[in-house]
Amino acid sequence: MPSVATLRARIESSLGEHLTSTLLLRERAAPLTVSTGLAALDALTGGLPRGALSEIAGPASSGRTGVMLAALAQATRRREVCALVDASDSFDPASAAADGVDLERLLWVRCSERSSLSPHKDHPPRAALGRLEQVLKVTDLLLQGGGFGMVVLDLGDIPAESARRVPLTSWFRFRRAVEPTATVLLLIEQEPCAKTCASLVVRLERKAVCARDAVAAPARIGPEGWQIVSHSGSGIPENNVVSHAALLHGMQLRAEVVRTSNPPARHGEALDGDPGSSTPPSAKAALGGGPGSWTQRKPAQPANANFELRAAW
Amino acid sequence: MFACIYIPDFPVEAIVRVEPWLREQAVAVLEGKPPLMRVVALNEKARCLGMEVGMTKLQAAVFSAPANEVAHSSEARVENSKTTQIELSSRRAKSKPKPGLAMLHQRSAAQENSAHAALLDVAHAFTPRVEDTASDTLLLDLAGLERLYGAPATMARDLASRVNAIALEANIALAANPEAALHAARGFSGTTVLPAGEEAHRLGVLPLQVLLDAFDISLNNGPASDRERDKLGEQMLDTLERWGVRDFRTLALLPEHALASRLGEAGTRLQRLAQGAGMRTLALCEPVTHFEEAMELESPVETLEPLPFVLNRLLEQLCARLEARALAAQELHLRLRLERQVADEETTTTQELAGASSHVVGGGNTVEHSLRLPVAMCDSKVFLKLLQLELAAHPPGAPITKVWIAAEPAPPRSAQRGLFLPVTPEAEKLEITLARISGIVGERRAGIARLLDTHRRDGFVMDHFVAAEEPRQKVAPTMSDVTEPARLALRMFRPPWQLQVRLAEGRPVVLTAVTKPARRGELQGKVLWSAGPWRSSGDWWTKNVKGESASEDQACPWDREEWDVALANENGGSVALFCIYRDLASGQWFADASYD
Repeated sequence: MPSVATLRARIESSLGEHLTSTLLLRERAAPLTVSTGLAALDALTGGLPRGALSEIAGPASSGRTGVMLAALAQATRRREVCALVDASDSFDPASAAADGVDLERLLWVRCSERSSLSPHKDHPPRAALGRLEQVLKVTDLLLQGGGFGMVVLDLGDIPAESARRVPLTSWFRFRRAVEPTATVLLLIEQEPCAKTCASLVVRLERKAVCARDAVAAPARIGPEGWQIVSHSGSGIPENNVVSHAALLHGMQLRAEVVRTSNPPARHGEALDGDPGSSTPPSAKAALGGGPGSWTQRKPAQPANANFELRAAW
Repeated sequence: MFACIYIPDFPVEAIVRVEPWLREQAVAVLEGKPPLMRVVALNEKARCLGMEVGMTKLQAAVFSAPANEVAHSSEARVENSKTTQIELSSRRAKSKPKPGLAMLHQRSAAQENSAHAALLDVAHAFTPRVEDTASDTLLLDLAGLERLYGAPATMARDLASRVNAIALEANIALAANPEAALHAARGFSGTTVLPAGEEAHRLGVLPLQVLLDAFDISLNNGPASDRERDKLGEQMLDTLERWGVRDFRTLALLPEHALASRLGEAGTRLQRLAQGAGMRTLALCEPVTHFEEAMELESPVETLEPLPFVLNRLLEQLCARLEARALAAQELHLRLRLERQVADEETTTTQELAGASSHVVGGGNTVEHSLRLPVAMCDSKVFLKLLQLELAAHPPGAPITKVWIAAEPAPPRSAQRGLFLPVTPEAEKLEITLARISGIVGERRAGIARLLDTHRRDGFVMDHFVAAEEPRQKVAPTMSDVTEPARLALRMFRPPWQLQVRLAEGRPVVLTAVTKPARRGELQGKVLWSAGPWRSSGDWWTKNVKGESASEDQACPWDREEWDVALANENGGSVALFCIYRDLASGQWFADASYD
């Protein structure tokens, strides 16, 4: 079966030179990408695309916030100004600082249900906006203002049913607003909700919880493959004097690419500002990649990567 | 070479400066307490109508709007409380000016002071040697400025355009001595340049009143009061008119000794001034460092909608003054005088909003809003938007009768960003964006989180966000730098959720959320795994003798046992990791974060 390129060449040659400009397909240049701060995730996704909407979805305790903070840390290390629109006021600055986020370069917008009340008794209180409405309005303002390297919308605690009620036009508007800019628009949520407006959708799930658990039973398989992996890493001080028997060490996570328009990062190919990047060939193979396969929306094969988030202690 | 800037009908010009639409109208300015109000100044159009200085208000009212129109306006104000003087004024401005009608305005000292300060700014921007001769008159020493500004005619035009930029119409005159320049500015409209040696010839046509007005000014340092000086001036004018002396030329030609024997030293001095002589040293004044514009509103403004029209005019004038001095504003102060005293609870105190970019001080019937800008800027549109958002967030509690805007001057930004530095938000745009965001999410809920030096969970304060511009020495990371594994992060519950916990062997085994009914299901179920307890306490030193926290501002003491638990949700069956704790003081359990 002739390839698309062959067919195109045949049609162009048959119709002559007059219609070449009409038939010329405008190929969009591959977007610049930035590192997520996690090598495994970079290898899997090719990085977060600039000028596009990316989604990181997953249930509670699936590492979404860890991935978000890693991406923010990378962005602030690049001296970019970032913004976090926190729908449920759940951002922990101490965790962010421990993860390497430069808080001086992060604008944190804390949405809440009770925030839009007028302090004056003579003036009627303005209609209290819902959290999602606040998030959308604030994001609109931030994207219109411009100049941010990364804008993160944290809907991690918003129920998936509510997030799905956000009109698709809002996501489309956001996508159009960031398209001509170098801004990375990142959405943290429980379930993907931006649909086709997202250029990259990654679903996270927890494989296991790493813990030093001296007295606990070894078999810890529970609901949804829940398990505890005993850890005896060198990072945990072995101290027999400690009375408590268990210590949370981290989580093992699995990331799956649900949708992407990024080319997979090829071996030795640099991400934006990452001249020394190197990607394992296995990750390239994970997307079933040929040279032009990045244009596909849904990967032909499941593309997974495993990584670990460690506790700060 | 000396220059004189003279503003004819200064009280009228000071009003017209902030209400430019009045320039096309006949305007008379009244002064005094009712019912003894008299016209003290009027513009050329009012003079053409037949109005004169010294008229009573009743006499002047004949030339102003007809009674039925005034009545109609008053009724409209009563019927619709939202209709304000500003709106009426705007409507009048839009409508075609009716010939034969004059606008009567109360004299405004605040507006005259602002106009005078603006005039001084323009003069000091031109030359540092300025004499503040009168509120409507400035004398400038232009010696040595020809190389900078060009020929005298060019300098006169340049000065005129600068004065026009602050919305004032001035007479500019240049002459070889300050007195000749002063008389030329008072006598001739527009710009006048008197070549050296032709002063007597050019000034000869001026009426003697011009000389006597200026003569009064030159005696300002004397012990006599204004009224005495006016009386002396009138007597001298009467005497000279009886002699048939009505202009400069006639006075200049009188025999000097005969004049001195009849009028004394004052007569000799008057004759020298009429001859265009009279070199003297200027009494130089210091440049104005206080930038303030004010406007008294004829009727109180009850709603915020018409206020931007007033603020815009004042801000434009303020920015023009700052630009004239090549300065920008680092801080803006908006002061509003209210019709009635506002109760304490109606105004937000400074303490509540300390550390934010703006604060409000309430006291008596005056409210002050202060905007601290992260970078010096001089854009009236940005200032207006910021003030609008500030007023929307903290509306005044009563109708406004007077508005002041003051700016703290600062050198303008001169830094230029590098071509290869990451893009950052524009400072002006960012300020407006932050103000708008604060309007949506609330005060002090958008900014930078600054960690406190404490072991307390959630120990941080919110600071105003400023896009950092200083280049750091750190190099942008590469993939090879990303060697450190990412950290497990916490998602906080603010405020913490109260729990009911069932214990077995001292460890939590079943959790039930007490608070947060909407999301109770998330924190309800069987504990699959737990780690703890970790005990932590702090800030116990903040307790006073009564066992209570010393004050609300200080951190409260905490003493708690923390547990990390894996909870199997009863509803969905999913498992999540939470950080829960038992408050040892109250014995209650709370969940304050989840691991993610």
